[in-house]
Amino acid sequence: MKMEEVSMSSLDNSKLEALAQDILSDLVEDACLGLCFEVHRAVKQGYFFLDDTDQESMRDFEIVDEPGLDVFGQVYNQWKNKECVCPNCSRSIAASRFAPHLEKCLGMGRNSSRIANRRIVTGNNTNNKSESDQEDNDDVNDNDWSYGAEKKAKKRKSDKVIVINLFSYNKG
Amino acid sequence: MNKEARLKATINQKLTETGERERLKELLRAKLTECGWKDQMKAQCKEVIKEKGLEHVTVEDLVVEITPKGRALVPDSVKKELLQRIRAFLTQHAS
Repeated sequence: MKMEEVSMSSLDNSKLEALAQDILSDLVEDACLGLCFEVHRAVKQGYFFLDDTDQESMRDFEIVDEPGLDVFGQVYNQWKNKECVCPNCSRSIAASRFAPHLEKCLGMGRNSSRIANRRIVTGNNTNNKSESDQEDNDDVNDNDWSYGAEKKAKKRKSDKVIVINLFSYNKG
Repeated sequence: MNKEARLKATINQKLTETGERERLKELLRAKLTECGWKDQMKAQCKEVIKEKGLEHVTVEDLVVEITPKGRALVPDSVKKELLQRIRAFLTQHAS
């Protein structure tokens, strides 16, 4: 039996509004029931309280909100004033300068190779460097006695840096 | 069946056929989660469970306690948005 199509225009707005409210009511009821079933299943299957933590742990891990501390309660600029002893030259170096110092001190890293190269080419004394890399420099860079070759040396610097870095990596 | 009842039945049928009912359900669920209603209601459920006991709580217990509170706690903004969609659907499907 075919249902008669009822025209909307024959009904006034208040009836339409009532209908809309009815539909909304049904939908809300559906959502509530859905939630009840979800919760009930979680309870019976034992996972309802799984994401809760007990009060004690909650207090342990509470967010810290004090000046000078981060949210974990750690002091965050603790290392600014610390000094470290360099294992190579046994000097006391400030923490924030430690990594660059080590680079130069051990003769590893890009910058120390460049500086070493420059010093060799201009004939300077470089006592503080570790010996191994300097020997490599000498082997690779044979035109260090002629000043005219400075330009060539500088141009090939990038090649040398790559080669030296490869040497450094091999040595570990 | 009078005119209104027939209209209601027709509309409900159309809602289901076009898939709009499902879409509206999903929309409502999403909005309710977004606005924190779901968490609120879960907290209410916890109360009921503590009251009735974890082992003995039934679906009926929850439904009876939760549904009236749930209806009351739906935010107006969510209601408005859903009603808008429903009205749009109604006017669109005027035969």
